[in-house]
Amino acid sequence: MLDDLEKKIIHFLQGDLPLTERPFAVLAKRIGIDEGELLDRIKLLKEQGMLRRLGATLYHQRVGFKANAMVAWCVPDDKIDETGFLMAAFKEVSHCYQRKIAEKWRYNIFTMIHGKSKKDCQGICKRIAEKTGIKDYVLLLTLKEFKKTSPRYF
Amino acid sequence: MDDIDRKLLHEIQSDFPITQRPYKDLGVRLRCSEDNILRRIKRLKKEGIIRRIGGNFDSQRIGFITTLCAAMVPDDKIEKFVTAVNKYPGVTHNYLRDHHYNVWFTFVAPNMKAISRYIDEIIKYTGVREILNFPAVKTFKILVNFDLV
Repeated sequence: MLDDLEKKIIHFLQGDLPLTERPFAVLAKRIGIDEGELLDRIKLLKEQGMLRRLGATLYHQRVGFKANAMVAWCVPDDKIDETGFLMAAFKEVSHCYQRKIAEKWRYNIFTMIHGKSKKDCQGICKRIAEKTGIKDYVLLLTLKEFKKTSPRYF
Repeated sequence: MDDIDRKLLHEIQSDFPITQRPYKDLGVRLRCSEDNILRRIKRLKKEGIIRRIGGNFDSQRIGFITTLCAAMVPDDKIEKFVTAVNKYPGVTHNYLRDHHYNVWFTFVAPNMKAISRYIDEIIKYTGVREILNFPAVKTFKILVNFDLV
């Protein structure tokens, strides 16, 4: 379990880093520890894999990816790992998860793909299908974004 | 956007320095002054290229669970449904997609019990009964870096 200091650090890092010369000194002051200790604790969170990364998140539509889609694939149980890693290796795939399936839904691997157009997304799907041999899939184009935000844990 | 902007975006997506003077250290890598780096980042934020600079945590490792939900929502109920769903702070993404399951959203919560409770509340409030719930079993990829085109 996380201790109180870790929760405080997560609280401040889940937001936006101050754009000043010494951003970690500013956060350290708010947390009530010194800058050096904060830097050490952040590095530790990263080493432990709790902090996946520290850095910028971009609006990808504005950097040239105008179309994106979720693609759900029906993958036989004994091929999930092999297929998941093959799909993850595509540079157009930003996210790839195995998910527990529900009644009325047989597609167990979910990928997010990014392209310049709808046609581009369809082409990416075809290439993934050829590479993995998984032909049973459903392409769910993103029509509208209702919400996109970073999680607030504490 | 010039070449330095592109290089800067690449660096700050994947390898933001965890140091006393991160913007100065980025400047050393890109042969710019600290001030120049700060000005560029401010501009890229203002232009809506950078969404935020901060930490991205592994939800599971810090004790949370994540799930994806798909709902079948009649057209005339979409607005009410989306408003109700988006009120939950644990809902981080919500999209309209071209499928009979048309509204897709992600939930982060302390446990699955909480998510079941939220989904029950949403069903009760909106009358939309058809909500599928797909908890993550295994993560194969979460992209760190968008190569700029």
